[in-house]
Amino acid sequence: MWSKRIDGSDASATFPATPDLVIVFGPTSRMTDQPLIEQLTSRCGNAIVIGCSSGTMVDGDGLDDDAVVALGVGFERTRLTLAVQPLPSADTSFAAGLAIGKELADDSLSAIFVLSNGLNVNGSALVAGIRSGAGDSVALSGGLAGDGARFGDTRILAGGDCLTNAVAAIGFYGTHVRLAHGSAGEWQPFGPVRTISAADGAELRRLDDEPALALYERYVGEEAADLPASGLLYPLEIWDPAKPDDRVVRTLLAIDRDHGTLTFAGDMPQGWKARLMRGIFDELIDGASTAAQHAIDRTASWGVAPSACLAISCVGRRLLMGQRTDEEIAAVSAVLGSDIALAGFYSYGEIAPQNATGVPCLHNQTMTITLIGECA
Amino acid sequence: MSVSASPVPTEPPRLHPIAARQARRTRLPDGGVDIDRLLALVSETYTETDIDRRRTDRANRLMAEELEAALSRSALQNLRFKAALDNMNQGLALFDAAGLLVLTNQRFLDIYGLHDARPGLTLAQILASSPCLLLATPIEHRRLITEYRAVASACGARIEQCWPDGRTITIERTRLADGGDLYTVADVTAARTASAQIAHLARHDALTNLPNRTLLHERLAEIVRNARRGDRCAMLGLDLDRFKLVNDTLGHPVGDALLVAVAERLVKLVRPHDVIARLGGDEFSILIQHVTSDEAVEQLCQRIIDTLTQPFEIAGHHIQIGASIGVAMVEVDALDPDTLLRDADLALYRAKRSGRGNYRFYTPDMHAFATRRRQLEIELRRALKSNELRVHYQPQVDIATHTVIGFEALVRWYHPERGIIPPGDFIGVCEEIGLIGTVGELVLTQACRDAALWPDSIKIAVNLSALQFKSGTLPAMVARALAASGLDPTRLELEITEGAMLEDTSSVIEQLQQLKQQGVLISLDDFGTGYSSLSHIRNFPFDRVKIDQSFVRDLGTNSDSLAIVRAVTGLCSSLGITSIAEGVETLDQLNILIAEKCDSAQGYYYSRPVPLAETLPFVARMLAVKNKAA
Repeated sequence: MWSKRIDGSDASATFPATPDLVIVFGPTSRMTDQPLIEQLTSRCGNAIVIGCSSGTMVDGDGLDDDAVVALGVGFERTRLTLAVQPLPSADTSFAAGLAIGKELADDSLSAIFVLSNGLNVNGSALVAGIRSGAGDSVALSGGLAGDGARFGDTRILAGGDCLTNAVAAIGFYGTHVRLAHGSAGEWQPFGPVRTISAADGAELRRLDDEPALALYERYVGEEAADLPASGLLYPLEIWDPAKPDDRVVRTLLAIDRDHGTLTFAGDMPQGWKARLMRGIFDELIDGASTAAQHAIDRTASWGVAPSACLAISCVGRRLLMGQRTDEEIAAVSAVLGSDIALAGFYSYGEIAPQNATGVPCLHNQTMTITLIGECA
Repeated sequence: MSVSASPVPTEPPRLHPIAARQARRTRLPDGGVDIDRLLALVSETYTETDIDRRRTDRANRLMAEELEAALSRSALQNLRFKAALDNMNQGLALFDAAGLLVLTNQRFLDIYGLHDARPGLTLAQILASSPCLLLATPIEHRRLITEYRAVASACGARIEQCWPDGRTITIERTRLADGGDLYTVADVTAARTASAQIAHLARHDALTNLPNRTLLHERLAEIVRNARRGDRCAMLGLDLDRFKLVNDTLGHPVGDALLVAVAERLVKLVRPHDVIARLGGDEFSILIQHVTSDEAVEQLCQRIIDTLTQPFEIAGHHIQIGASIGVAMVEVDALDPDTLLRDADLALYRAKRSGRGNYRFYTPDMHAFATRRRQLEIELRRALKSNELRVHYQPQVDIATHTVIGFEALVRWYHPERGIIPPGDFIGVCEEIGLIGTVGELVLTQACRDAALWPDSIKIAVNLSALQFKSGTLPAMVARALAASGLDPTRLELEITEGAMLEDTSSVIEQLQQLKQQGVLISLDDFGTGYSSLSHIRNFPFDRVKIDQSFVRDLGTNSDSLAIVRAVTGLCSSLGITSIAEGVETLDQLNILIAEKCDSAQGYYYSRPVPLAETLPFVARMLAVKNKAA
C-alpha cells in the first residue's frame, strides 16, 4: 500500500503509481470548478475519486483555506466500492444512510468512509441508517462537508461529479485492510448544570424552564449578533442523568429568533442535563493530540505502520482558534510522524467510533482521526 | 573615560510558533518577506487574541455572576432553612455517621438549656453539658443518657422521659441514609399535664376535688381485683341534713362553700387509703377499707355526725347542719360494687326516716322494705289511673252546740286486693315519688265538689302536704278547685302542719296570704307534736289551731297532755283563734275539752270518716240529737 498527498490544483503534481482511491478536499468555489475537477480526475486513472468541500483543508502538518488537497492511495490486497445516494433533506438522512449501507454491505466489508452533504442533514440519522444497512460490526468514519463560516453551499465529489445534497461512501473489503480511529473534543464545560425542560428532536426550546435562545445569548454576549455561526464556539454538553459518565457534545446549527429556540446537530432529549462549553486553545490542541494518540495506539497490533491519515476536525475549532488552529494539526502530525500521508478538512460534523465503546456515531466539535493501513 | 564597542554575536530570534508560521507563510520565493501580508497576519493574531481575551473575560464574569447568584440563593435557602428549623416546635439535632454533631436548631438548645452546641461534639458531650439534666442524680443522669442512646432507630420509634426539672420530653431517632442520625426532641409537658388534668377532672368532683362516682367505682373494682380473704370494707352513704335550706335561703355560692368545708372536715376524719367521693348535691360516699370491727365504723359514723354538726362559718353566716349516714359492710371477696352502694343508700334512707342526725347499718329487711315500697309506687300510679283513691269525710262538731260545723276530707285507697288503705300508709310514698301534687289536687277538687252539696253552714277541711307549697302554684290550684265546684271560699279550710312552715318560710307565708285573700281559711294542724313554735302562730293569722290527737288520747291519764291542751286552748282564746281537738274517742275526753274551753272536736266519739253519702244523714242525726237535748 502506498499513500501520497498532492496539491490537486497543481497539474504537474503526480502520484507515484496509479491510485485505487483519491480523496479530495477543497473550498466550495474550487470544488465547483468543473475544469479543475476534470483536470484532477483525469490524472487519477480508474481510481475512485471521492471528496467534499470545506472552508479549511488539512494539508500535511498545516492548514490551508484555499488549497485543493488530494490524497492518493494504492492498495494491493483491498477491494474498494463507491456508493452514492441523494440526500435532499435532513429527514431523508436515515433512508440515504440505509441505502448506502445496503449497497456496500458484503461479507468481506471491513470499513466504510463516508462523506455527506453538510447542510440539511441529520448526521445521527445518517450514521444510524448506514449501520442498519451495513451491520453494526463495520467500522465507520467520515464527516459532513463544510463551507467555513459561511454555511452556504457544501459539496460532495463522487465519480467525477460535484454534487449537492448527496452522500458518498467508500467500502473497504477484505481481510488485509486496516482502519484505526480516534476522536477527542476537550471543550471545557462551564456554568451551572441545567435541565432540558422542553425540546423536540434536535430543537431545544427551554433550559431550566427559560427560553433556550435567551439563555444562550446571555452566555455568548456580544457574539449573539453572529449566531448561529458564533454558536460553533459554544457547544452544549448533554447527558442522560441516569448515565452521567456518557456525555455527548452538540453543536449549534440554527436559531429561531421568533420562537426563541436553538437547533443542534443531533437530538436534544428532554429531561437530559445540559451544560454550556467553551474552547480553551491549549485544551483543544491537547485534545487533537489525544485523538491521534488514541488512533495510533489502535495500530499496534497491525504489524505494519499506517500509511494514510484522514484528519477531520470541526469547523467550530477552526473558527475559535483562528491562526492557532494550525497547532492542533501540528500536534496530530507530531504524534503520527512524517511517514504518514496526512490530509483532511474542517467539517460540519465528524463521524467516528467512540473511543470507549467503538460504536460509530456523529461527533461535534472534535478532532477525529482515521488511520488506514494494509497488512501483507 | 572611553567605551569601546565590542562585536555582539547575532543569532536568529527565537520566534513564537505563531510568528514563525506567519514568517513562513509570508516568505517570498526570492527569500524576502511580504510585509503587508505579514502585518495582516500579525494584526489578525492580535484581533484573535483580543477576542479570545474578551471571551475569557466574559466567561469569567458570567461564572462570577452565576456563582454569586448561586451563593445568594444558597444563603437565602440557608436562612430559610434556619428560620424553619428554629421555628419548629420540636428540637432537632443531626449527627453524622461518625456520631458527631452537624447541626441543631434553636429549639433543641432551648429544651436542653444550652447556649450553643458546636458542630463536632458527640451526643454524650451535649447531654453531659445540659444544665437541665445535671439536676438529676448521677444514677438518674446515666439512665437518661443511656435511654437516649438506646432509642430504636426504626422510623417512628420514640421514648418519653421525665426529666429532673419536671418536664416530660419525647425523643425520636431516625437513621439517615448516610449513616447519620436525626434526633427530634419535643417538650410534651403541657400536653401531658393537660391530659392528666383531664383525667383528674373525669374522676373528681370539680367543686370539692373529691373523687367522683367514676373514681369510686374504679377503686371498688380495684378492691375486688385485690381482694384478700377476710378483709372487710364499709360503704358509708352520707346526706347533709338541712343542706337544701342553706342553698335556698343563703344562695348557691354559700351552699357550694359549705360543701367544700364539709369535704375538708370529712377528709380529716378518714385514713389516706379510704375514699371520700361526692356523688352529687349533698350526697357523699365514704369507702372505708380494711375494717377491723363494726364498732370502729360506728365510732367513725358518730365522729362524722358530730363533726358535721359543729357550726360552719361561711361568708359571715353561722350555719348549722347535720348529717345522716347509712352503712353497708361487706367481705371484700364477696363485694359487688353496685350492691354495696345500693345497700348503703337503703341504710341512709332508713337513717333519714328515723330522724336525722344518726346512722343506720344496712339490714336485709331494708331491702325487703324497699322492694315493697317500689311495688307500692307501681300500684299507686295504677290507682290514680283507675280511680282507686276516694275521699271520706270525718265530721267536726261544735262542742258547745253539738252542731256539725264541717268535715275533714281524708283520702282512702280502695285497693282491689288489700282493701281500704289509710292515708298514713301511702301519702308518704306519694311525697317521695312526686305524686303528692296530683293526689292533693284530686282530693281537694273532689272535696270542694262534695262540700258544695252540703248546707252553707258546713265547711270542708282539706290537708295540705308541705311539698304542695314547693311549686308555688298552690293558690292557683285551690282557685281552680273552688271555681270548678262553685264552693264559697270561706267554706274551705286548708290544714297545714308546722313542718310546712319550716322550709322556705317566706314562700309558704306568701302563698298562705294569697289563699287568705281568696277567702280560704287556714288552720295549723297537729299543733304540739313538732316545734310548737309560737312564732308560727304569730307569723301568720291562722283561723284555727288543731290539737294533735296524741294529746287528746292521753287526756285523763296524762297530766302533761292536759297541760298542753290547756295551754293551746288558752293561747287560742287569748289570740282569738278557734281551736279543735282531733282523735276524740270518749265522753271523758270530750268533757275535759269542754272544761278546757276547746271550741270543737272530731273523732270516733262522733264518727269515723264516712263516704259522702253518709255525711248529710250524719248532719241530720246530730241536728236531731241537738233538738232532742234542747
